[in-house]
Order: sequence, then structure tokens, then C-alpha cells
Amino acid sequence: MNPDEPKKSVNQSVSEPVAESWTIPMWMIILFALLIYGGALFMAENAGGFAKDVYNPYRSPEDVAAANPQDPDAIRRAEGRKVFAGTCAACHQDSGLGQEGKAPPLVGSEWVLAEGGNRIAHVVLNGLSGPITVKGKEWNLAMVPWRDNFSDEQIAAVLTYVRSSWGNNAGPISPDLVKTARADKHPGAMSSEELLKMPVQ
Amino acid sequence: MNSGPMLFLGLFATMACSWTGFILAPQLQLGDLTQTNTVVVGDALSQTYPVAVPGVAHAGAEVFRANGCAACHTQMVRPSDLGSDLQRGWGKRRSLAEDYLFEQPVMLGSQRVGPDLANFGRLMDTNNNNEIYKRFFDPRSITPGSVMPPYRYLFETRKIGPFPSTNAFVPPEKYAPPAGYEIVPRPEARTLAAYLLSLHQDAYLYEAPPPESLWPKKTNAVPTNAAPAAAKPAPK
Amino acid sequence: MSAMVTPAPITSPAPPPSQTCGAEAARPAAMLALLTGAVSWLLVALLFGLIDSIKFHAPTFLAGESYLSYGRVHAAQNVAFLYGFGVPAALGLGLWFLCRLGRTTLAGPLVVLIGVTVWNCAVALGVAAILCGHGTGFDSFEMPLWCARILLLAYLLIGVCALLTFHQRAPGPLYPTQWFVVGSLFWFPWVFSTAALVLLGVPQRGVLQALSGWWCAQNMDAVFLGFAGLAAAYYFIPKLLGRPLHSHYLAGLAFWTIALFAGCGGIPNGAPLPSWIVSLALVGTVLTVMPILAVAMNFYQTANREFKALDSDPVLRFIFVGLLFWIIASAQQIVGALPTVSAITDFTWFGAAQKELFRYGFFTLTVFGSIYYMAPRLLGLEHSVWHPKMLKLHFFLTFLGALISYVALLVAGLEQGILLANTANTFPDVMRRTMFPLRMGTLGDLLVTAGTVVFLINFAGVLNQARTQCCPTRKEVG
Repeated sequence: MNPDEPKKSVNQSVSEPVAESWTIPMWMIILFALLIYGGALFMAENAGGFAKDVYNPYRSPEDVAAANPQDPDAIRRAEGRKVFAGTCAACHQDSGLGQEGKAPPLVGSEWVLAEGGNRIAHVVLNGLSGPITVKGKEWNLAMVPWRDNFSDEQIAAVLTYVRSSWGNNAGPISPDLVKTARADKHPGAMSSEELLKMPVQ
Repeated sequence: MNSGPMLFLGLFATMACSWTGFILAPQLQLGDLTQTNTVVVGDALSQTYPVAVPGVAHAGAEVFRANGCAACHTQMVRPSDLGSDLQRGWGKRRSLAEDYLFEQPVMLGSQRVGPDLANFGRLMDTNNNNEIYKRFFDPRSITPGSVMPPYRYLFETRKIGPFPSTNAFVPPEKYAPPAGYEIVPRPEARTLAAYLLSLHQDAYLYEAPPPESLWPKKTNAVPTNAAPAAAKPAPK
Repeated sequence: MSAMVTPAPITSPAPPPSQTCGAEAARPAAMLALLTGAVSWLLVALLFGLIDSIKFHAPTFLAGESYLSYGRVHAAQNVAFLYGFGVPAALGLGLWFLCRLGRTTLAGPLVVLIGVTVWNCAVALGVAAILCGHGTGFDSFEMPLWCARILLLAYLLIGVCALLTFHQRAPGPLYPTQWFVVGSLFWFPWVFSTAALVLLGVPQRGVLQALSGWWCAQNMDAVFLGFAGLAAAYYFIPKLLGRPLHSHYLAGLAFWTIALFAGCGGIPNGAPLPSWIVSLALVGTVLTVMPILAVAMNFYQTANREFKALDSDPVLRFIFVGLLFWIIASAQQIVGALPTVSAITDFTWFGAAQKELFRYGFFTLTVFGSIYYMAPRLLGLEHSVWHPKMLKLHFFLTFLGALISYVALLVAGLEQGILLANTANTFPDVMRRTMFPLRMGTLGDLLVTAGTVVFLINFAGVLNQARTQCCPTRKEVG
């Protein structure tokens, strides 16, 4: 008899079956653990976040949203937000309120909220220098041109974003408008007088 | 494990896990499913989906259930990566939970001895009920070698009254009734036909959106051009 | 390391006839009633299955009347098998194991007898209702709600007695068979009442009905029947080999993993459900590889290469082959759940083959083997009372029939799936090409039915012997 053999159950009559107590082999336990781990990974990948509107073959709510027809304005706003956060917020602040010595506010600004966006398109493309009145207050700072840094789509996007955030509720800007403004090859920065002379479009 | 109560506790726990995962959680998530809006395609307007089926179709669902049609026919279209259903043209898109909102009972079936019926109403290119009745009366006249049994007990051969019945069914040649008699589908056949014609799952929904080629054309938002903005002159 | 062990003598001597006649007869009678009723319903189910099978190559066969149309017969077959044969057989076996392993006698035998009678009447009424067109359309729960209620009530009567029997067991450790029996006793009412509630009583909205239907049906087959059949395997294989079960830990692993994961299957990958449900089902199904390994390893070590003994004992032959079929059927469930495979095999005869093997291969063979052992003891007869040639014929017919049926349906399913995956093949074309394997499937069904008839004849002979022993007619006495 192998001395390592586990003790048998006691007092079982011969005719009824008895069970010994050999342990489960290690490889089986490891396999079980691996299967559970694999199952968890599979669920993370394929359960669509347990969302009720994610069906195969989509993998996540974002996938489903992306597969649906997109609202072009929503896309533009999202893109514009990225541009703003990366570039404009440095001076105009994330809140759009601007800062003394850095940039005038965009929130409620009559320039931003004008019916047409050609004036602010020119500002973004060519920069702005000299005094300008924004919301009754005079600002005299310098804004650099962004014509060479961003495409028409991007500028249209950020303008759309600015016009529809923080309570601003003006219409979206199309890339065509920015293209027209860009074709207007203006040397140097804009000035307030020049802007006011431009009809709003 | 040698204790009765522990055994019961363990069984209760494992059963509860399984039950929660497949009965309770889905009920909580999908139990209050309501009508939704279709995703627009082209110039169409968004519509409510699904629409309630007429009562005749409901009665037909009862006939479908009573005769165990779900034993041979499924009513679900699988996504393209999990089957060839879409390639076969059995649907425009995969089936979703919304599709079965107003079905009672929901008979998805589990085996395809016959083709899938989820879009039967859309694939049948005719509202001519006679074609459908032919499928019940003698499936082999439509599909040679079909294993679908004939359901002639859904029809009644009777003497023509003062006028021939408007519902009279024109069977295949060899089953033509004797002179003076006509074959009329019973209510079961008529409601079953109505039910089958009500089966369609063709509206695109958020969970199964249309392919990009069908998206409405993108419009560039043009800024409105009403009154000129008031421009304040800058103080010098 | 082990010495050659010859199988131990089969059992202690049978009790003298006086103990099983008269008033004492109620105890064995209850279990016998369960088993006899079960096998009779099995024959009914097999006949329904045969009718259905023939309709595939001759669709006009019995198609004139609505009562015997394919859909209704299919539903009736399902109910007859599960509730006519499956549940009573599981109960009969379970009660006997509880008595034996608990070293006690059945509690409340008369209550059990009443329960069995009510149960069988309810099943008969349910089957009749289905054939008359009142089936509910839910796979495995086709009986009308009123029938389901009566079944639950009858089950409660029997189940309470079973619990009492378990409770009054002799002190000592539990043997795995007892876990499995208690597991099946526990599982059935929960699953069945869930089905009765969310499918028949207050139906869930929309596609949830289908999900619950799949879950309940899977639990009825894989967990409930699985527990019941494995209980018999865990009892008979060690006992008849005369060796101890290798490891009760492995048995425990098998038990709990079946309880947790085996109920997850049966949900098609392409079902109209959010992906999390379908993925959860897939993960659970793949995890059922654990109980398969645990069971296979346990019995392999228990038998310790003494497979020759399997041939000597007819009971062991049934049980062991049944167990092999369980392993194959369970493995097939896993393979069929994988997305790449299911894209081809879902909704084909592949699933039907798996179900066929599980029900008519594993469960039926296991029950028959157990009855061959139990019936003489219940009747107070010597164990060698069965007609040996009929027994052999029965095994041969059932084993061969189940195997042919399974392979035929498997081939048909794979062929159907592979052909359908190619959209150039029209659906009618594909069905025509699967006709030959389906005919073979009918042959298999025929063999199993014939085997059951042989068994019933054998059983009738055994019952007659018991009767002559108990209450001999004047002619027999002298």
C-alpha cells in the first residue's frame, strides 16, 4: 500500500460505493483558472460593455454610434473642440471667457454671434491686431494668424464649436466659407476697422 | 461536502448565478423595450418601429403556434459574420430584440428544415394569397422535392352555393375539385397567410444601421443670412 | 500499483419475498411505478419520433389529419420524452439511490404513488392537448399552462418525499451520487416553474421569451438530465467494478461546474440579443470542458484500465457506454457553440444530433442499465432474473440505433451547414442532398424503438416472475 494514499472513508458497507480522496491534479486547476481568465478577457472584448444596443458584429457603443449616419454638425463640433482645446484655449481659456492680457472673451461676444462667420473666419486666418471692442470693453492685444496651421475644415470646425458652446447659439460654419475667406489674401493681421467694413456673410 | 444544508446553499447559489445572468439581468435590461425610431435612409422620414400587427395576423400566429411550425422554421436573421443569412437575401439586416416587441408568442425556432421566415412578408413579392395557399396545400407544387408536409386540413372542399366564394382557392391542376365544388381556405389558413405576410424586419435601426452607401447625403451647414449683425464701431 | 481486482459480488442477497409483498410493497411499488411509467412513455416518445422521421422522406405520411402533423407530433414527442420518461426516470433512480446510500427506506411511499399517478395523467392530457393544437410553441415546454401546474403539483408531492428520504439518511459523509440526485431534485422545480411563469403564465415581452425558453430548455437537458444520469454513473461504475471512486474532489468539481456552466448553452450565436448575452453563453459553454475532464478523469482512474470488466456485467455496459455518449455529446455542445463552427452548424441537424445523442444515447442507456439492476431488487427477486439473450439484444439494438441515429444526423447537419454556407446552393437543393443521412436516421430510430419493445417484453417477464412469487395463481401453486 502506498503510504501516501489518502485514508478511505470508514464504515461503508462493502456493497455501496465509496469515494477516495485523491486531489484534483494541478494541471486541471491551472486549466480552469486559465479558462476563467480567458473567458473574462473574451467578455471584456465582446460583451459590448453590457450595453443593450450593442449587437454582434459591433464591439462597443462607440462602434455602433460610428456606424450610424453621422450628423455633420455634431462631427464638426467634436473636431472643433479638439482644435480649440489644443490651441485656442491657451489664451481664450477653456471656458471661452478669455483673460485680461491674453485674449478677449468668446462667450456672448457679438463678433462670434454675428449671423455670418466671415469676420471671425478672417480673424482666425490672418490674426488680429490693434484695438477692438468686445462686449463693450476695449481690448488691444495681438492674435497670431492660423492660416498656415489649420485646414479649412478645421477652422470651420473650431468656429462652429465656438459658436455653439458655453451658451452661444449661433449657426455652424461651413468649410466653404473659410475657403472663400482664405482666398481673400490679406497681408498681415486684421484690424477692427477692416473687419467692420466687411459685410457680414 | 457532506452537509445537506450546505449542499442546498451551494445549489441555490449556482442556480441563482445562472438565473440572474440569463433571466433576471436580460429582463431588467430589455423588459421595458418600447417602440423606437428607424434610422433614416435616403430621403425617407424616420418612422416608429415596430408597428403593431393587425389582429388577423395575431390570430395567424396562434395557428403557427398550434401547428408547431417553429419546429422547422426559424424567424431570425443572423449577422453576416455568424452565418450566410444576409448573403442569401433572407433579410436586409440582422434581427434585433425590437423586431419581436409585439409578437406573442415569440417563436424564433431552433432548426431550419425549411427556410427562415423572418422576412417572409417582404420576400413574397405578391399579396396574392393564392400563392401562399398553394404553399400550404401542396408545398411540392411550389418547391419540387420539398419535405414540408401538405396542410390540406386547413382547407375545406364544399359545394358551391348560390355564388362561388370570393375566397375560393385555385389549387394546382391535379387537385382541382369536382365540378360544382370549390376549395375554400378555412379561417386558420387565411389568418396564417396574414401572419406570414406581416413578417418583415426591413427597417434599419440604431443597433443595425444601414451601410454607408445608404446614408442621407451630408449637407454642409450654411450659416443663415437674415438681418445684418449690429457692429459696434470701435472707439478711437 | 494496484493488484488485479475482480469485480465484487453484485450485491447482498435479495430480501425474502414476504418483505416485498402486501403492505410493504408500497415502497418498491412507488419506484417501480415511476420506472414502468417512464419506460412506457419512452416507447410513446420513440413512436412519435419514428413518425416524424418517416415524414421527412414521405411528407404525405399521416398528413391528412391535423392531429398527426409534424409540428404537433414533434412537440408531443418532446413532452413525452422529457416529462413522460425523463423526469419520472430521474425520480425513480434518484429515490432508489437516496434509499440505498442513505441506508433508509422511502418516506411516504403512498404519497409518491399518488404523485406518480397524477403526473402520468397530466402528461397524457398534455400530450393529447398538444396533438389537438394547444401546444405553446416553446421548445421543451409545449404543454399548456394548466398541465404545467398539475405537473408541478405532482412533482411537489414526490419531491417532498424525496427530501424526507434524504433527510432521514444514516449519518456519514455524502457520496457524490447523493449530491447529483439532490441537485436534480432541486433544479427541476426551479427551472420548470420559471418556464411556467415567464413563458406560459405571464409571458415576458418580446425576444426575452426566446431567451428564457432557451435557458430553461438547456437546463432541463444538460443540467437536470445530466445530473440524473451522472448520479447513476457515479453509483454503478465504482460499485460494479468493485473499486472505490477515484476522487470525490473531482466529482465535486464536476458537480459544481455543471451546475454553474452547463445551463449556459443552447443560445444560438446569431440570436437577436445584445452581444453580452450571447458572449456570456459562449463563455459558459466553453467552460463546460471542466466537468467533462473531471468526469472522464475520475472514471478513467477508477476503472484503472479494467475495461474488460465492462463486458462481463451487462449493467456496466449500459452505464459505461451511456457515459461515453455523455462525454461526446457534451463535447459537441462546446464545439458547436464556437462562432466559426456555429456559423455553419446552427439551425442544422447538427444540434438535433447532439440532442439525440444526449437523450437517447446517454440518458436512455443509463436509465436502462439502472433499471436492469434495480428492478429485481425492488421486486425481491434474484438479480439474474432477466432473460440474457433479450438483454443482449436490447443493448445491441439501443446502442446501435442511438449511434446510427447520431452519426446520420451529424453527417446530415454538417452537410446541410456546409452546403448552406455557399449561397450558390438553394435551400431546397440542400435539403434534397441531406435525404440519405436522414433515412439512416430513421433506421436508427427504428432500432431503438425495437430495443425498447424487447426490453418491455423482458420486463413483463420479470414482473410476471415477481407476481408468481408474491401471489401465485392456483395453477402455479400446484
